[in-house]
Amino acid sequence: MSDYSITILNFIAIQAIVACGLNVIVGYAGQISLGHAAFFGIGAYSSALLTTKAGLTFWAALPLVVLITAAIGLVLGMPSLRLREDFLAVTTIGINFIVESVFLYVPFFGGALGLGGIPSIVFFGTRLRGANFLYLCLFFLALVLLISRRFTKSWAGLACFALREEETAASSMGVSPVRFKLMAFVIGTAMAGLGGALYAHQMRFISATDFGFPLSVMMMSMVVLGGIGTLWGPVLGALILGVLPEVFRPLVDYRMLLNAAILLLMIRFQPDGLLGEGSLLRRIFPKRGETSHG
Amino acid sequence: MQLFIEQLLNGAAMGAIYALITLGLALVYGVLRILHVAHAGVYAAGAYAGLYVYSHTGSLLLAVLGAMIFCALLGVLIERLIYTPLLKFPPFVPLIGSIAVFLALEEIFRLVGGPYILSFPAELPFSGITVSGVVISPAIISIYAVSASVLLLLWFIVTKTEFGLAMRATSQDREVAGAMGIDGAFTVSMTFALGSAVAAVAGILVGIYFNQVYPTMGAVPAYKCLALIVVGGLGSLPGAVLASLLLGVGETLLIGYANIPLPRDSLAFIAMIAVLLWRPGGLMGNR
Amino acid sequence: MDDMLLRLDNVSKHFGGLKAVDEVSFSLGRGEILGLIGPNGAGKTTCFNLVSGVYAPTSGKIFFEGASTGGFPPHRMAALGVGRTFQVVKPFATLSVLRNVMVALGLRRYGGVLSSFARWETPAVRKEATALLEEVGIADLAEAPSGKLPLGNQRRLELARALALKPKLLLLDETFSGLRHEEVALLSRLVLDVRSKGIAVLLIEHNMKVAMGLSDRLVVLDHGRLLAEGSAEDVRSNPRVVEAYLGKGASSHAS
Repeated sequence: MSDYSITILNFIAIQAIVACGLNVIVGYAGQISLGHAAFFGIGAYSSALLTTKAGLTFWAALPLVVLITAAIGLVLGMPSLRLREDFLAVTTIGINFIVESVFLYVPFFGGALGLGGIPSIVFFGTRLRGANFLYLCLFFLALVLLISRRFTKSWAGLACFALREEETAASSMGVSPVRFKLMAFVIGTAMAGLGGALYAHQMRFISATDFGFPLSVMMMSMVVLGGIGTLWGPVLGALILGVLPEVFRPLVDYRMLLNAAILLLMIRFQPDGLLGEGSLLRRIFPKRGETSHG
Repeated sequence: MQLFIEQLLNGAAMGAIYALITLGLALVYGVLRILHVAHAGVYAAGAYAGLYVYSHTGSLLLAVLGAMIFCALLGVLIERLIYTPLLKFPPFVPLIGSIAVFLALEEIFRLVGGPYILSFPAELPFSGITVSGVVISPAIISIYAVSASVLLLLWFIVTKTEFGLAMRATSQDREVAGAMGIDGAFTVSMTFALGSAVAAVAGILVGIYFNQVYPTMGAVPAYKCLALIVVGGLGSLPGAVLASLLLGVGETLLIGYANIPLPRDSLAFIAMIAVLLWRPGGLMGNR
Repeated sequence: MDDMLLRLDNVSKHFGGLKAVDEVSFSLGRGEILGLIGPNGAGKTTCFNLVSGVYAPTSGKIFFEGASTGGFPPHRMAALGVGRTFQVVKPFATLSVLRNVMVALGLRRYGGVLSSFARWETPAVRKEATALLEEVGIADLAEAPSGKLPLGNQRRLELARALALKPKLLLLDETFSGLRHEEVALLSRLVLDVRSKGIAVLLIEHNMKVAMGLSDRLVVLDHGRLLAEGSAEDVRSNPRVVEAYLGKGASSHAS
């Protein structure tokens, strides 16, 4: 497999991790988040700073990165998740813009020039690059999927599904809406932070514009395309949206339009996504197993 | 002092433009409870359509009329093809649809009109005035004049006409309005037409004022105006106008006059969060 | 201080200028069935929502088991032992009937962060949920999609979910409306079974026969205010009550 293909797959794997995080928030808990890219960025910047300015290795920094991102997710989520849907949507967009501005304008984060010189990840003496880096990403993807699956099997996951379906009924059964929405939000943002760390060490150079609102839209598209609330949906979505630009490379000029058109067609005719219930794919290949909200 | 007044006038002009765009958003939210991100795409389409008509006819009046009609149709098309069929799904579904439409429109503008900034060399039929040393350009005068008339017209339509009543009834409770003989579907489509036509006017005003028409000109208003309708109180028309004016003036003064190094586009969202903390329903919202 | 399970003390709920509930006081003892009746718009559902925590009282106090609970959110009231059904049924539509009940069985777990990470699909939980379904008589529908049940079964599911909370007080919101005769009889027996287990019941009912037949006592509301209180006989022959339901002039015809 060519180097280029492996690089693409690395991206896809990283984006799948972040999309899985978004799926926990949007799919499992039914909360809209159009600012997910901000947490991806927080993870990336945290890891970049900890490994360059603080001299930590990727591995030493990683738990801190996840913790920092989750903590910021907690702080931002607490007031936001109390808001009604429409307010929440706009607030998450706002979070994205504000976080991006902080990265862009506060000199500590490198400003418009971004942060460079991010070290490679070293694993038992080997620098992870190319295929090795891909294995690492796939490992973390598997981890994230396992956590997602375990979440759906836990009482917390059941509480989130109930909240998503009928918040009033769920709360009358002891499910505190804010607590569980927040839980899903923290898990989702932590996963995004993990993806961000991997991204920073893959690119070795990051800048604020990598984590803007268009990326949040892209993430949302992946989750929607694959199937909101399904386990593999975000992975499928990341795969398709990662491969599509390569497929459409000859049509360079029309790529963005095609992306938008695909998203539009998808949301208009198959809002449940490719793996969701009632989708075309499901009807052709009916599954005997469960979806994660079954 | 002179600079302050000039910046104040600039700010109010921006505020008036924001108001024209945000009003369309507020109207749509009122009847459909949808965040119509694509509205900014309609706004930019207005600038392009106006430029096209103007460059072929030389008449600003025709340009404005042509753009209004074009955008009204575009707005209704979006509503009929995308929003109304998606109403039965959770709100993020039409929201994503709206974002997709907006992105597609941006691309269409780029492919059809070219990726470059086009100029809008309109000759306004009057010249600027100077009041005690403060220069007021013809563009600003036209913004004030046009937006004031449009706002007045809208106010009249919403409060004094039967259609306005139908709009308000439908936004309060579509079912009950239907039971009273109001055709919900028609009212919704006409609301889109109205809001979109107003956005077209805003597009042309901006095109002339900055002498720039370009594919991504809708990007900033798309999200900034969302923050504005939230600040105003979702669905509140006076709130939308108030929030727009406040932001227009605030932005320009803080950055143009006081030189505070805050990123201009985040200001709207920072203000939104501040307002929500103080009044969770927005400045004038009570829904 | 108080051996009443639930006590409303001059409770009011105002929405802007509208006084949905206006200085209402009544109480409910353990194992009692209290019927809350009154014409449309009397404030019965608002009272329910005040007790279950959906609304906070504008003024006045609500006491549950002697502790003041006005303003507590619904999930906290559930943890304290208040279960409720909804007039417009709210099943978790994408979940099966059995799983709907399981959600309610998680009450003990939802309070702690760590405990909520335990698995919910265990044989013990299944058994308990199935037992509850058997109690209300829909155990055969365990795997059916809850969103697609006929009304009678939906109501029974609501009851099963509320019972899964092991409540001390059960709020039944128009549980009998829209049901056929046999279903009403069945559900009535279920309610009496519930009471015999020591669970107090506060019910809203438009169906007079059911309300008067089931309730030990009745509370009549009209336009947000307490109109009358007492046994079925007392209430039935109270001219003000008849007037409230049938309009002025009808009270002179009351037997």
